[in-house]
Amino acid sequence: MKYRQVRRTGSAAGFEEIRMKKYLFIIKTQIIKSLTYEFNVYGNILMQTIIMITSAYFWRALYKGQGSVNGVDTDSMLIYVIISSALSVLLITNVERRIGGSVEKGTVATDMIKPISLFGMFFAEDIGSITALIFQNMLPIIIIGSLMIKVPVMADIRDLPLFVISVIESFLINWLIAALFGMTAFTAVNINALIQVKKHLIRLLSGSIIPIWFFPESVANVLYALPFVYIYQLPLSIYIGRGTRAEYLAQMRIQFLWLVILSALFFVVHDRVTRKVMVQGG
Amino acid sequence: MIDVNGLCKDYTVKKKGAGLSGALKGLVSKNTGVIHAVRDLSFHIDEGEIVGFIGPNGAGKSTTIKMMSGILTPTSGSVLINGEDITKHRKEVVKHIGVVFGQRSQLNWDLRLEETFELLKHIYRIDADDYDKTMSIMDDILGIKELLDKPVRQMSLGQRVKGDLVASMLHSPKVLFLDEPTIGLDVSAKYSLRKFIKEINKVRKTTVILTTHDLGDIQELCERLIIINHGVMMEDGNLKEITDRVAPYKTLVAEYYDEDAPEHEKCEMISHEGNVARYRFLRSEISAADIIADLSSKKALKDISIEEAGIDDIIKIAYGDPVTDPS
Repeated sequence: MKYRQVRRTGSAAGFEEIRMKKYLFIIKTQIIKSLTYEFNVYGNILMQTIIMITSAYFWRALYKGQGSVNGVDTDSMLIYVIISSALSVLLITNVERRIGGSVEKGTVATDMIKPISLFGMFFAEDIGSITALIFQNMLPIIIIGSLMIKVPVMADIRDLPLFVISVIESFLINWLIAALFGMTAFTAVNINALIQVKKHLIRLLSGSIIPIWFFPESVANVLYALPFVYIYQLPLSIYIGRGTRAEYLAQMRIQFLWLVILSALFFVVHDRVTRKVMVQGG
Repeated sequence: MIDVNGLCKDYTVKKKGAGLSGALKGLVSKNTGVIHAVRDLSFHIDEGEIVGFIGPNGAGKSTTIKMMSGILTPTSGSVLINGEDITKHRKEVVKHIGVVFGQRSQLNWDLRLEETFELLKHIYRIDADDYDKTMSIMDDILGIKELLDKPVRQMSLGQRVKGDLVASMLHSPKVLFLDEPTIGLDVSAKYSLRKFIKEINKVRKTTVILTTHDLGDIQELCERLIIINHGVMMEDGNLKEITDRVAPYKTLVAEYYDEDAPEHEKCEMISHEGNVARYRFLRSEISAADIIADLSSKKALKDISIEEAGIDDIIKIAYGDPVTDPS
């Protein structure tokens, strides 16, 4: 009854509130769902810990006898590793697998019969999974990193708002790239191999494992023009304090530009794709 | 209620050669072909009807249902539900329809049944009062309340289908599409499914459109049949009316005391084995009683029985198969 009254007033705000409500509930349901897979969680923590510790040893060995390389000292590099591991939890997307699976198994049919935007639902589901993962994965990784490697203190706490904004934007960029990738499933059907390629490409090109400043300058310049660097390296640079506030802002402008470009691309492709959905096994 | 006009669906498929060489060729050359899954279907369905869609596998039944429920976009033609075009206003129109696929579930594998229902309650914005009312009706028909706490992955197929039926009815849709709902179900689950369809049709005036291969479903539920084969409509009409038109004959089985059986000028003896003879006759030409009288005046009858043209005969004829003799 409460909803109806809101709807009757016809106010835009009220309408938005109702619309948001179903997506919020999808997020909640997804959190419940994520919590049922405990075993998965431990596996993930273990894997992330191994990668994190190996990288830490790797950088310690490389830095031996050198105070700083490219303006980054050992301690900052170790913090980079820990925060990169923590961030990778936030950047897990399921949207491409979700689309791939629903096309392959035909479950897209049961998604399409609901009065809801398909990608709105996928987005809400990813937000739900990530909310659960923050507690299940991200916090344990930060704690393990603090105990075994170093306490990852932020270089300049006054840059925290910039860091948070850039993380949100990098999450959105990452999600849009994944969604655009996923949409190829509507035409190519099996995209499992492509998902793997995409995943490793992003890890390599985004500075998640090796910061781009270690790359040859010509390569680095190309990478700075692509969106991937703004997924990992930008927020990480802000966190460890590599650069000035003016540099951060300049890079965040490019990040925002990519967000706009990818969103526009997303909506164009999205409209075409939903018109052309095919269900296998009809 | 539902208007389907000139509905067509073509699929473009890649043609691949056989074996490894064929698969390799398929990687480089694009050899495509077009399959016409549904060709120019038009029909009208009124509120409160129960319509059975039948046809052999691959006839285009599921494709039609998917286009009618907004999952597939037609190549040409339109589907209007309550006067609204489903392809143009999918998100609006699907509020008035429910869909159940016998072979896939809309329930969430990892959640308890009730959690899926709660999610749907929010997605369709169902009033708490309406929700409770629907649940108590569904509990009366299907006994759903005892399943609410059970995770879907632990359910039997029968229980899962019950869950799917309730999920599709939560928002009180005006139209319910059922795509092979009885597939793989045991007798008692089939019985409750049929009871469910009859009840919601009676109580809520829900229009039901179902595809099935189960002749029992058709006989018990459908007042109207639409028969499709190769994507083309073969028949559309009342079950009895189709029977009269497509299979207007009956078969009389007569058993004599010896192997000698007399002929009858107005019917055809279709088999004669031992003491038993079968006569096929048109109902419009002669009544069974007259034949029996004629035959018994020629020779003493031991036993007689009359076989009606069954629904399976009709389907065989409509599917284009010759009617084989039942003996």
